[in-house]
Amino acid sequence: MSTGTTFAAAGAAPAASSARAIRPRLSRDDVTLRLLVLAIVVALVVFVVLPLSALLGKALEDHDGAFVGLANFAAYFGDPALAGNLFNSLWISALSTVICVTLAFVFAYGLTRTCMPGRGVFKAVAQIPILAPSLLPAISLVYLFGNQGLLKGWLMGASIYGPIGIVIGEVFWTFPHALIILTTALAISDARLYEAAEALRASQRRIFFTVTLPGARYGLISAIFVVFTLVITDFGVPKVIGGQFDVLATDIYKQVVGQQNFQMGAVVGVVLLLPAVLAFVGDRIVQRRQAALLSARAVPLIPKPNRAVDLTFFAICSVIALAVLVILAVAVFASLATFWPYNLTPSLKNYDFDNMDGGGWASYGNSLTLAALTAVFGAAIIFTGAYAIEKTPRFGAGRAVGQLLALLPLAVPGLVLGLGYIFFFNDPANPLGFLYGGMAILVICTISHFYSVAHLTATTALKQIDPEFETVSASLKVPVWRTFAVVTVPVCLPAILDIAIYLFVNAMTTVSALVFLYSPDTTLAAIAVLNMDDAGDIAPAAAMATMILLTSAAVRIAYTVLTRGLLGRAQAWRRR
Amino acid sequence: MLDKSAPLAPAQYAPAPHVPPPPPPVPYLEVRGLSKRFGPFVALQDVDLDVYPGEFVSFLGPSGCGKTTLLRAISGLDVQTTGSIRQAGRDISDLPVSRRDFGIVFQSYALFPNLTIADNVGYGLVSTGRPRAEIAKRVEELLTLVGLSEQAKKYPAQLSGGQQQRVALARALALSPGLLLLDEPLSALDARVRARLRGEVRDLQRRLGITTIMVTHDQEEALTMSDRIVVMSRGRIEQVGTPDEIYARPATAFVADFVGKMNFLKGRLVTADHVEVAGATLTLAEGIGVGAGAAVTVCLRPEDIVVRAVEGDRPNRLAMQVGVMEFIGNHFSTTLHAVGTSLNLSADLSINDVRDLGICPGATITVVLPPERLRVFPDPPATGH
Ligand SMILES: Nc1ncnc2c1ncn2[C@@H]1O[C@H](COP(=O)(O)OP(=O)(O)OP(=O)(O)O)[C@@H](O)[C@H]1O
Ligand SMILES: [Mg+2]
Repeated sequence: MSTGTTFAAAGAAPAASSARAIRPRLSRDDVTLRLLVLAIVVALVVFVVLPLSALLGKALEDHDGAFVGLANFAAYFGDPALAGNLFNSLWISALSTVICVTLAFVFAYGLTRTCMPGRGVFKAVAQIPILAPSLLPAISLVYLFGNQGLLKGWLMGASIYGPIGIVIGEVFWTFPHALIILTTALAISDARLYEAAEALRASQRRIFFTVTLPGARYGLISAIFVVFTLVITDFGVPKVIGGQFDVLATDIYKQVVGQQNFQMGAVVGVVLLLPAVLAFVGDRIVQRRQAALLSARAVPLIPKPNRAVDLTFFAICSVIALAVLVILAVAVFASLATFWPYNLTPSLKNYDFDNMDGGGWASYGNSLTLAALTAVFGAAIIFTGAYAIEKTPRFGAGRAVGQLLALLPLAVPGLVLGLGYIFFFNDPANPLGFLYGGMAILVICTISHFYSVAHLTATTALKQIDPEFETVSASLKVPVWRTFAVVTVPVCLPAILDIAIYLFVNAMTTVSALVFLYSPDTTLAAIAVLNMDDAGDIAPAAAMATMILLTSAAVRIAYTVLTRGLLGRAQAWRRR
Repeated sequence: MLDKSAPLAPAQYAPAPHVPPPPPPVPYLEVRGLSKRFGPFVALQDVDLDVYPGEFVSFLGPSGCGKTTLLRAISGLDVQTTGSIRQAGRDISDLPVSRRDFGIVFQSYALFPNLTIADNVGYGLVSTGRPRAEIAKRVEELLTLVGLSEQAKKYPAQLSGGQQQRVALARALALSPGLLLLDEPLSALDARVRARLRGEVRDLQRRLGITTIMVTHDQEEALTMSDRIVVMSRGRIEQVGTPDEIYARPATAFVADFVGKMNFLKGRLVTADHVEVAGATLTLAEGIGVGAGAAVTVCLRPEDIVVRAVEGDRPNRLAMQVGVMEFIGNHFSTTLHAVGTSLNLSADLSINDVRDLGICPGATITVVLPPERLRVFPDPPATGH
């Protein structure tokens, strides 16, 4: 009855041989891709995992390198001054997070859910702080509220040097990070839910608490984790404006740079690693849930004009945007004044870096070199690595390890990574020790430090292109590298450029990891800001921070112009 | 059995007595004992299949039955757990994709968006190291084949879905592969374009004589395009046969249910060839090898219920009352109730029948359920499900 199936069944291979499990042979492409995955795994082990283990090892040693178990930790927690700094860090971070996320939520709501005028301008202004090192807002706050500050009276006798200054500076600096996450979360909400709620005659207030907030909850949680981690691991703001108020990040710096107590520095590093890792794990869990939420077919919500609401949000957002602009402008103006605030005649004397501490204009040149190298090599390596991890057929274990390692740097504070680098690369027994003290280690450290976000951007872009490109190529006997070069890279070019810009800006602005690693030949602009501020040269510090801001902004603007113009023409295929 | 799959020789050309019978055709693709597991989940179990040179074979089955898994095993994209595959006499069971010989078209087409149509089609040719002029000539030839020579300089996003589909087809054919694999090639298109492309793809396949396997969950597509259909369910092959066989003589209740519309009647055998169904006794054309008393399912297609020329002493002649009549366009879908029993059927009646016999809701008519159209399947043991 069943025709055909049994046609040649008599000639079937003996059962014994057909029952043997098939081990697919590897093609040349398979081998290439697997080697790439392994290369990334090895690189991340050498440049992230081993330095971290070196740090952990150091925390368990005494001054002479003998193993002492948890004795250093006991000493740390036994010292009320030191353990108190942990408490300081926690409450400062919690407070900054609450303020920052609340403001960012209101701002994001205004941008996505109202028809207030000037949304484009607001959005652009709110992004600017990301282009500056965290030292810049701190310096501005000194000018505004410091001992000779313009608005000192506003504090009613309280001092900006301490918790108040740190919280304001951190909120300013982390605001764009929270805003990006919350704008995305609020933008994906489903219009149908609102229509249903309105059809049921729910009040606006009730709709907000039953539809809007729950819809954005993953974004909110994610923003909380991200901001908390950024604040607790940030070093620039508390260093400049913390005064006598110590937090974990400044503690590490003092232990290592001030007292040369590497063991205690390592202990503080481990303590700092814990909240960062916890926040990282929490965020990962939330992200996974949100992915499920996103895949549902939602109808995008288009806000309807409402005069009262729109004007209210316009007022609130104007105040926030104005605060951002004032903080930015103060640093810029102060750097351009002859002697702020007594002599406001414009002058470039603060830009005469060569006659000051911090390495002079060479620092700025070094920073440009670092940023360019990080952007070029980082984008190439991270994108290629993400491609291999994403597209290698089978090889599940290798790819899983690669993915895990690629996300690991997100949980590692810059200071901790930098400290790990000292212990690992400065070890005379390390054959890679020759890297220490040069530009190479700065580039490697920066790429490692910012690996995860870039990797996630690359992975998202790669997931969006057709998964069958590689299959089709293989069936056409085209080697995988050719498809990578001819198809994947051009199609993903916007994401690759995004990664390059991200790395460039971060390399320009970062202080934390590199503060332990630069040498007299490789002084950097952001670290010069720190050192000039330390030496009391606040105006030149503001000037250098301004240079960093302008450079980042220029690169970003050039990028926008380039993608709209030149690149747009080369990518004609994107248009219908 | 053999002649069911091989083309039938017309009777008048019957060979002379002394000529030996033609050798059985050699399969181009032989799948033996193929199984695929994802962890504990068995996606394919012990699949045997032969595909003959030049044949167009469709894999048909409900979502999740393993069609794509089988195709991916044949292509080497997702190698089977156990079992072997031979193509043109060569064992390809463990070869990587790049060392197998096939062209493939995906549901998404997977056209390279940044390359022109000509570059897409010539993509595989460039790596062969042929001279430019020769590549250009071959690309032109392929584009003409699929009727797109005017579009060579455009980008994929500038073409319609149907055109993109044809570009994907031309690209898959560029290296003249021995086997063409199509994974739901038409399902991303709207109904009208799909119907037209069915004919075009089938036509092209015939002209090139290329052995082709297509995955589809659209039975109409499988029935209209294929030489043979492989009906699959839960990782197993239910039946392999020509569209005609699959439709008219389903081998299992699953196939009967999945392909076309079907009346399912629960009943019990009273003798080897009589079955009692809901108070009516029906005569069967032949026994099914299970004894009297066995629980069975009787299947009958709605369009096989006869309402004309029902006079005389014919088996399975029943008086039925007409229930709801629904006009479908080219026929009436009608419910019928057998007078004096609890037997209900659905019947497709042609417009002619309805008009000529004056059939209307509430009327009582005489119908015949032709014994040769009744398919009977023994019910699985109660524990089986
Ligand atoms: N990578 C995988 N891991 C685990 N299970 C899988 C995987 N791929 C397929 N399956 C399972 O194997 C079964 C067969 O899948 P397959 O894709 O072959 O179905 P299909 O017949 O092509 O269905 P559809 O018509 O929906 O495409 C499904 O139950 C599916 O969930
Ligand atoms: Mg499928």
